[in-house]
Amino acid sequence: MHPVSVVLGKEFRDARRDKRAILSAFLFPVFAPVFVYFMLTAIIELRSDVDKLTLPIIGSDHAPDFIQWLKERDVRIEPFTLSPDDAKQAVKEKQYELVLVIPENYQQRLAELRPIAIEIIQDGSRNDARTTVNRTQELIRDYNREIASLRLIARGISPQVMQVVVNQDIDVASKQERTAQALNFIPLYVILAAFVSGMGVAVDSTAGERERKTLEPLILNPVERYQIVMGKWFAATIFAAAGMGMTLILCVFAMTQVPLELIGLTIQVEFSQMLLMFIATLPLAFLSTSLQLLLGIFAKSFKDAQSYIGLLTFLPVVPSVYTMFNPIATQDWMFALPMLGQHLLLVDVLGGKEVPLLAYLYSGASCFVVGMGVVLITARLFQRESIING
Amino acid sequence: MIEVHAISKAFGDVEAVRDISFSAENGVVTGLLGPNGAGKSTTLRILYGLLAQDSGTALVDGIDIQSDRRLAQQKIGVLPDSHGLYVRLTAREHIHYFGRLHQLDENLLETRTRDLLELLNMRNIADRRVEGFSTGERMKVCLARALIHDPPNVLLDEPTNGLDVMTTRTVREIISELKNRNITVLFSSHLMHEVSRLCDHIVIVSAGTVVASGTPDEIRNSTDEENLEDAFVQLVERDLI
Repeated sequence: MHPVSVVLGKEFRDARRDKRAILSAFLFPVFAPVFVYFMLTAIIELRSDVDKLTLPIIGSDHAPDFIQWLKERDVRIEPFTLSPDDAKQAVKEKQYELVLVIPENYQQRLAELRPIAIEIIQDGSRNDARTTVNRTQELIRDYNREIASLRLIARGISPQVMQVVVNQDIDVASKQERTAQALNFIPLYVILAAFVSGMGVAVDSTAGERERKTLEPLILNPVERYQIVMGKWFAATIFAAAGMGMTLILCVFAMTQVPLELIGLTIQVEFSQMLLMFIATLPLAFLSTSLQLLLGIFAKSFKDAQSYIGLLTFLPVVPSVYTMFNPIATQDWMFALPMLGQHLLLVDVLGGKEVPLLAYLYSGASCFVVGMGVVLITARLFQRESIING
Repeated sequence: MIEVHAISKAFGDVEAVRDISFSAENGVVTGLLGPNGAGKSTTLRILYGLLAQDSGTALVDGIDIQSDRRLAQQKIGVLPDSHGLYVRLTAREHIHYFGRLHQLDENLLETRTRDLLELLNMRNIADRRVEGFSTGERMKVCLARALIHDPPNVLLDEPTNGLDVMTTRTVREIISELKNRNITVLFSSHLMHEVSRLCDHIVIVSAGTVVASGTPDEIRNSTDEENLEDAFVQLVERDLI
């Protein structure tokens, strides 16, 4: 048997029996999809709430035509019998997001063709009420435009004279792409899993080996040091890859359990896509574990290693979070950046875009090459005489 | 057969080993005796290829350790200073791991493992995980993994340090057994009585150099001391002055 596979076999067997390593490897892949499920459900509830706008209105009797118009637009009307002052108090106490006040002279001013002031009682400091307020203002503007147009038509004037410039939104994102934007955190979790799931094994087989005083007996065997490091690397990578695969499968499963069509998103993830996503992220497992081995060799003890590596786990979050808040136009070279490349690949595959083969090649090769480089550095450190003294 | 010619090793400004020479013959138990910090462990670590000497040569069965490290390591079995074990593996798995690192084929590995479990009287603990082993049981595992490839040379760094009477006895028995098999045994110790009891040949080191060597009788005679321990103290102190 090749020395690398001897070390790999032993490390794998050892890790399989290590409850702590197993727990840290697979707790995350189990909880990430649960989180995805609840987060998506929350998003849907939030959006569907917005659709059912409820307006408390004072003086709804004064403007039956306006009320009728609102009802036709799925607005629920809640007649409000209290005085405007009470309404102000109620909004202040956050019982209502807003209250509409229709004046008593509505019909009179309508007949006189004079502007009618419809008051919106609202609390400007409330961010959560802003959407409702905006939607209400929008509705009032729409009604105004409609009536004004009718008046112009009645006078033989085209309502278009009122329009000088109009904006027209052209959304270039495909429907599935918009979905992917909403599902941005699935790639993030899969990438995180690469760092979380291999960690226990990586630390245990480096800093742990030193702490248990098994390092000296190990390295005095007639085996090259780099072969020992490679064996440990592959063992940790198996765990990282398994964690990533599990996170991916479970997150996608969780996603399909959420009725996303309620917010106009359609998702169809096929088996081939899952496979592509797994292939896209797999190289990351080699990179993450190589970095962890390096830190594990540096560390003086198990605890020491865990605190370094805990910090390392923030690394993959950076590109994902950055692209979440600063959407960038993907360019080919970006695929060659470890972690960013994987993130972009996942978003594209989830978004149903055709990803060129070269992108896989770039991102895979860059991760593996950097990982290999880190492993060689680790092997060199392993070679130093001072390694046995810690 | 182990031959050491004028090796020196310094760590920064500290000269741990200065110009040490000695040889350990087949079928002879050689003791490297010296106080703590005399350079015993450093010498052994050079011999088993963990450290590289700054000058001099060290040969195992005629193989230069520094230039042919892997070949030389195949010829030696080592019980190093660190007696760590993998707590989640069984005794047998430890022995197998080290045997496979020595590239033993599976059939030979099985036979050798069976023989060693017999020799060390540890069949009853072979398939238990080593977590919770007594010090003596742990020592047996360490010895077994050091001897799995049937090495013609065995290096033991303070083998009886911190062991109880029963385990010390086991170690002594193993050393005699190895001697009977015409194996070169080199062990280090700071315990006079240990060395005088087991060794055919003694090398006394102090402050990184050899201060005396020979059979226990020769050493006693060279210092006019009746007792080997007094001889040892006299030799070490003479060197320090």
